[in-house]
Amino acid sequence: MQTQIHTDDVLMEHAGYCKVSGAYLYTVLHEVPDPLAQVLLIGPFASERHNSYLPWVRWARYLAGKGIEVLRYDYRGIGESTGVFEEMGFDEWREDVEVLTGWLKSRSPEVPLVLHGLELGALLAGNAFHSGIGSGLLLWSPPANAQQALRSALLRWVGLEHLYKPSEEVRPAAEYIRQLEQGASVEVEGYQWSSSLWRSSFGVNLPASMIDENTAASAYDRAVRIVKLEKQAAPLVRGGFVGYDEAKDFNWLFAPNADWIAAVARRTQGDGK
Amino acid sequence: MNEAIERRELITLDGRGVLVRGTFHRPRGSSFDSEPGASARNRIGIVFLNSLSLPRAATGDSAVYWADSFADCGYPSFRLDLPGLGDTAGDIPLELLKFINAGGYASIASAKIEELVERFDVSGVVLVGHCAGTVSAIYAAAACAGKCKGLVLLDPYFHLPQAIRPKVRQSLSDWALESRIGGALSNIYDRVRDVLLILRSNAPPQNANFGLLNRWKDVASTGLPILFLKAPARKAPGAKPRVGEFDYLKYVLGLAGRNSKVVVELIEGTDHSFANRLGRAAVGQHIERWLTSYFPLQEEVAVTGLRSKTDNSKNYDEYHMDCLHQ
Repeated sequence: MQTQIHTDDVLMEHAGYCKVSGAYLYTVLHEVPDPLAQVLLIGPFASERHNSYLPWVRWARYLAGKGIEVLRYDYRGIGESTGVFEEMGFDEWREDVEVLTGWLKSRSPEVPLVLHGLELGALLAGNAFHSGIGSGLLLWSPPANAQQALRSALLRWVGLEHLYKPSEEVRPAAEYIRQLEQGASVEVEGYQWSSSLWRSSFGVNLPASMIDENTAASAYDRAVRIVKLEKQAAPLVRGGFVGYDEAKDFNWLFAPNADWIAAVARRTQGDGK
Repeated sequence: MNEAIERRELITLDGRGVLVRGTFHRPRGSSFDSEPGASARNRIGIVFLNSLSLPRAATGDSAVYWADSFADCGYPSFRLDLPGLGDTAGDIPLELLKFINAGGYASIASAKIEELVERFDVSGVVLVGHCAGTVSAIYAAAACAGKCKGLVLLDPYFHLPQAIRPKVRQSLSDWALESRIGGALSNIYDRVRDVLLILRSNAPPQNANFGLLNRWKDVASTGLPILFLKAPARKAPGAKPRVGEFDYLKYVLGLAGRNSKVVVELIEGTDHSFANRLGRAAVGQHIERWLTSYFPLQEEVAVTGLRSKTDNSKNYDEYHMDCLHQ
């Protein structure tokens, strides 16, 4: 194992806290001198964060290695960010995106900004882009709405429960959903999902014009790329084998997407946008 | 962007050319409260290591909760990302689990613990590991005996698990979980394994992690305080293993010997991750009580805070003997 690191590269990674209303966001800036583009990475939801973390960080480093500056962060109330998860909702997480895109833009106003979201993060990225933020939008496995993202996270968790608990203690997903719909909260992989989070997830949709890349490109006159990740992309998406998939090669995914971001940046700068 | 907020500080340990990132939770009731970077005034530090490939927050951010909680009690707490994990750069091997089970992180973890002890002026550390993190913790404790003053092991294992199960076996397990006939056949299978275990005179199975067991013996037999927390498992009553499975707990308590200070607790109402509210709270309380018992704080304010939150009725020395006589 190589633990000797490339000091210069790592020193360009700056972890810090960004103050938002009632909390601090944990952020890591992968700084690049004279960047070609800036990317805000908007990761997946709560419990999905942990599984996808290693390839997500490697993706940030990959982009930085290609001259693209990256800011990644944890949602308010999740991971290293402060705040109480059960008091958070989509409004707060949308605000996180706005604050951080604003911060990135203020660093280098002339550098094109690309939003990149994974799963639930794709919804947040898509909605921010829809409101006019960013020169490009990259979506990996966007769900149609937040309800779909929450429902699949819940189903996966119930599946895991089968592995660890006696059958008589495991309740079907339908029972948890009924609880949430009746106003109670449910704990999923250590996160207390409030009923209001569940209810509001029905109203957080991917903008209709993002149904496919072509429709999106003509609707926004800005570049949009949508990639559906299959199981081979685990652990970026669920699946695969924990303990064996962490170090696998993601060049097949990273290279074309980094090229696309670079092309967007060149085109944007050429257009003077 | 700030590197320090209220009671947390982002840290890097860069000795030996390896930069490890982590979070420092400043203890309440000390100069740490108001002075980022101040020394720990010789307190014991609590250090969390990664569980397999999880980032330092752990499942459901449980490690953040525990570190906050121990810092509230007055113990400087640190969550580290070992090289290649979380935010710390470094290549990880293709078979991460095998690497960890062979003690692959021992050397760097012990070097970073020494660095941390010196930089933060703590008197030593208690290492906290969960699942694969317990393997790294035991190996690291053996490698830095002087600096490691205690171990907290959440659901440790002492065998070499097969991370990728053959598809046929996985399908059989799924079937056994879902069907009545499958469940009955699974019980018969357990009984057969139990007979084989008896025929083997309850010796450790071939896939026991003998390297780890040796390190455990080295560490535990010195009388190092060790808290062993177990979650309930499928078909395993209490702290006992599933029928037909080797009783590693009994075995390692035997290896530890009479001078050992190993405390075993079963955490009810949780699962292997300990991440649900019940599990998180119970783990926190057990560790706090154990810390008070073995590593009491001198500052009155911190001790008072700790006692108000935990039940000190249990005497660990007696409990330890109960475990040994099992």
